[in-house]
Amino acid sequence: MRFLFYDRVEKIEKGISIEGVKSFALSEEFLRGHFSKAALVPGVILIETMAQLLGWLIMYSHDFKLAAIMTLIEDVKVSSALRPGFKADIRAEIVSTSKRDTLGRAEIRSDGELIASVDRIIYSHFLKIDPEDLKERFRYYSGLKI
Amino acid sequence: MRYFLIDQITEWKSGEFIKGMKNVAMSEDFLEFHFPKNPIMPGVLLLEALVQLTGWLEAASSDFQRWFLINRVIKCNFYSFALPGDQVELEVKQISGEGSDIKIYSGIGMVKGKKKIRAEFEGEVIQLSEIEDVNEQKRFFQLLNRELVL
Repeated sequence: MRFLFYDRVEKIEKGISIEGVKSFALSEEFLRGHFSKAALVPGVILIETMAQLLGWLIMYSHDFKLAAIMTLIEDVKVSSALRPGFKADIRAEIVSTSKRDTLGRAEIRSDGELIASVDRIIYSHFLKIDPEDLKERFRYYSGLKI
Repeated sequence: MRYFLIDQITEWKSGEFIKGMKNVAMSEDFLEFHFPKNPIMPGVLLLEALVQLTGWLEAASSDFQRWFLINRVIKCNFYSFALPGDQVELEVKQISGEGSDIKIYSGIGMVKGKKKIRAEFEGEVIQLSEIEDVNEQKRFFQLLNRELVL
């Protein structure tokens, strides 16, 4: 299982916002056990989807000189009974950012309908990273020509 | 990867609390990408461990009639990393909603006495028979609870 919960980044604006998509398939590994009589996308996976995309926006905004790791989430809503077979449109934005941490928010829509949102998400920044390696990974993951 | 985030259930009291464990192993699939060259247990999977523990409490408290699905996180702090080799001790308590289909729980995860996660979350209580075979689930609970050993 590749623990990546977006398929493509569609739009990114430094220091402001990011948009991406993720298609949820019946073949997802996490559906093994969730559950045997009904395939339901776990709510926490929707949280991770928003968190991963916003994490990349933070790292991109700081020129890949730091890694951003989620330390707090507050006021989160997630649909609990979504069957795979839908495309999630993810949008996340930075509310404020400094050298040490970032506050942001994010939401997911499917066919225009809100299926998940997080009002407050905080990331701590870690500096022991290789910027070139991080940038290379983002290029591969996002599909963007940066 | 089988999406089972609880390895053992150690104690529970009907409608009140439940305690369990999650062992983080280097062989976990999700550590390959989280993060490359820096394996760290994803915070949301610790949250999922608390949610699954809540499901087991609902099931055990209702003779396996009920399960629990999260749909709101009021607040969740991730204090420090859970790493391969760590045994996370988890505890979930019911806060409100007794007798209702919407309940609030709070949970905590510690490694060697150090807090890793604390969460307050809300969810809906659903019919277990809609998502799992009730007898199979009961047997699985007995395995987790070490009531069933060959």
